[in-house]
Amino acid sequence: MPPKRVLIADDTEFFRTALKDILSRAGYEVVGEASNGAEAIELAMTLRPDLVILDVVMPAKNGLEAARAISALNLPLKIVMCTSLGYEPIVEEAVKAGASGYIIKPPSESKVLAALKAL
Amino acid sequence: MDTSRYKGIYLQEAKAHLSDIESGLLSLERDPSGKETLDSLFRHYHSIKGMSASMGYTPIMRLAHAEEDLLDKLREGKLGLTEAMTSALLKCLDVKRELVGKVENNEPLDISIDPFIDELTAASKAGPSQAHPGPAAANLPGIPPAHAGGLRLSNVMRVEGRVFDELLATVGDLFMVLSSFKALTLESRSIELKDGVHMLGKTVGSLHGSILSARMLPIEDLAAGIPRIIRDLTAGSGKEVSLYTEGMDISLDRAILEGLSSPLVHIIRNAIDHGIEPASERIANGKLSIGSIRVRAHARKDRAVIEVSDDGRGIRKEALRKKAAERGVPLEKTAAMPDKELLKLVCLPGLSTAGKVSETSGRGVGMDVVKDAIEGLGGTLDIESEEGRGTKVILELPRTTLITKALIVGIGPERFLIPISRIEKVIEADTGAEDVFSYEGASVPIVSLAPLFGLPERDGRSHTLVLVDGSPVLGQNGESPLAALRVDGFGAEIDAYVKPLLPPISKLWGASGMTMMVDGSPVFLLDVQQLISRSLERAI
Repeated sequence: MPPKRVLIADDTEFFRTALKDILSRAGYEVVGEASNGAEAIELAMTLRPDLVILDVVMPAKNGLEAARAISALNLPLKIVMCTSLGYEPIVEEAVKAGASGYIIKPPSESKVLAALKAL
Repeated sequence: MDTSRYKGIYLQEAKAHLSDIESGLLSLERDPSGKETLDSLFRHYHSIKGMSASMGYTPIMRLAHAEEDLLDKLREGKLGLTEAMTSALLKCLDVKRELVGKVENNEPLDISIDPFIDELTAASKAGPSQAHPGPAAANLPGIPPAHAGGLRLSNVMRVEGRVFDELLATVGDLFMVLSSFKALTLESRSIELKDGVHMLGKTVGSLHGSILSARMLPIEDLAAGIPRIIRDLTAGSGKEVSLYTEGMDISLDRAILEGLSSPLVHIIRNAIDHGIEPASERIANGKLSIGSIRVRAHARKDRAVIEVSDDGRGIRKEALRKKAAERGVPLEKTAAMPDKELLKLVCLPGLSTAGKVSETSGRGVGMDVVKDAIEGLGGTLDIESEEGRGTKVILELPRTTLITKALIVGIGPERFLIPISRIEKVIEADTGAEDVFSYEGASVPIVSLAPLFGLPERDGRSHTLVLVDGSPVLGQNGESPLAALRVDGFGAEIDAYVKPLLPPISKLWGASGMTMMVDGSPVFLLDVQQLISRSLERAI
């Protein structure tokens, strides 16, 4: 299996770094990082990743809006939401918006890998 | 999570968030409803919460969680920002800074944060008005007030508008009861009864006055929304418009102000859509690139005059004549019309809504609707316009509603009411069949009411002339604004609880309202301006 190309969107460098570390160790290639929803949509179009991990609370389009917009592009990719505890109801909406999985923060290695495996 | 690797990033980002939070809170104090500020503050707290939870910095996480909660309610509009909230949030900010400092210095996070979270909770529970932390037992004997003011109720009360409607209707009934007592005193010799009824009358009158003034709102309350409307209407139109207001402190009855709302928006929309030219056209015509709309109000006796003027293209009268001709008003007629009367044609139904009129006449979308609405409020509408210079719409409205001082007059077998606010003088005169009357050196046109209503004119030369203020129909170009309404006789002056005319008689010509007399018979309040204009064939 070739390494999957992943785009990470989170407004904190803290979580982007944490996710990138976990994914790299597991053999994924992080092809881009976005710090807001609008940037995530743009990078999804230009970088054509296989997987987009979207934080829910972000400026300039939140994760949910970004998920809707990216799904609407009809690209061959999967979307995984990354959200804090207490935001589970949003996950349901995210699934409607086109997401296939979710990770509850903080993103530990076991949680992230389990979520990606389930895709 | 291997926290040591991320501590540097955490510290760097947390500090950036904290300083953004500080400037956010300060700008929120200036603009408490700033949606963008609320949203971005929410995100900062959310990020700090998430990062701190991941790093295991529980006190910082708990604080941020409580703050995030409050911000969520603020941005959802469930709570309004209070000073107590801002100061609690600022205190929490300071504690978080202290805690982040401890993280940086590898010190234990041993600050008790519960009091800060409690203060935050108390501030958000105190609601959108003034927040008083904790119960204050101010007025109990032996217990000193918790703080200087103790518990205090505001001097301003919120009352639903309909309560005032009911109060006013009740006073209207009181006036009717009073009238029947007054009738009794005429036949009675009892001084006590006469005195009692007199006192009752004064008391009901002052009650009426208090209720009326409680119903009054300044025009400002309505006008405050105009800048936004202008902004929305000019957006992307290539037009720029400045608004100037004057006399917005004049107050009107709430019901009238409410009724004025949509006509006013309509007039302003017309001014922007059809009056004010695009900046390029204005410059080419030697005008300032920014157009202006002026809303001026002043009081005229118990009425308010509101003028809305623009400095746009004005109404092209030739185009208007042509359009009117298409609608059946012959050119010969419109050619002879004075401007004032011609401009009234803008308010003709059908003509004003015709697709192209707005472009050719520069005005007129739904002006008939505006005119009807204003007249429905007991008001009048006038238009002045100069091609290339602009248009002015003049509204005159009663300032208070429903109870009107009026004089009973008789025409043949019928009784009518004339509003006292319009009456200058009542004269018994021998005028015969003349159609003008000389009063204080001025020639006053006589309007005989009997033929206007199809009633038989009383024989004999002696009549009662009620001199009324006929402006703005009369009084232009230096002529006297007075007209003399010829009636058969007059009776008492009463406080009439005038009800607006409702369907099926809402369009009754010559009347602006009706009231029930004590004996149960309906009497109409005359629309003086309409009568004069019909009789003298002048446009209102």
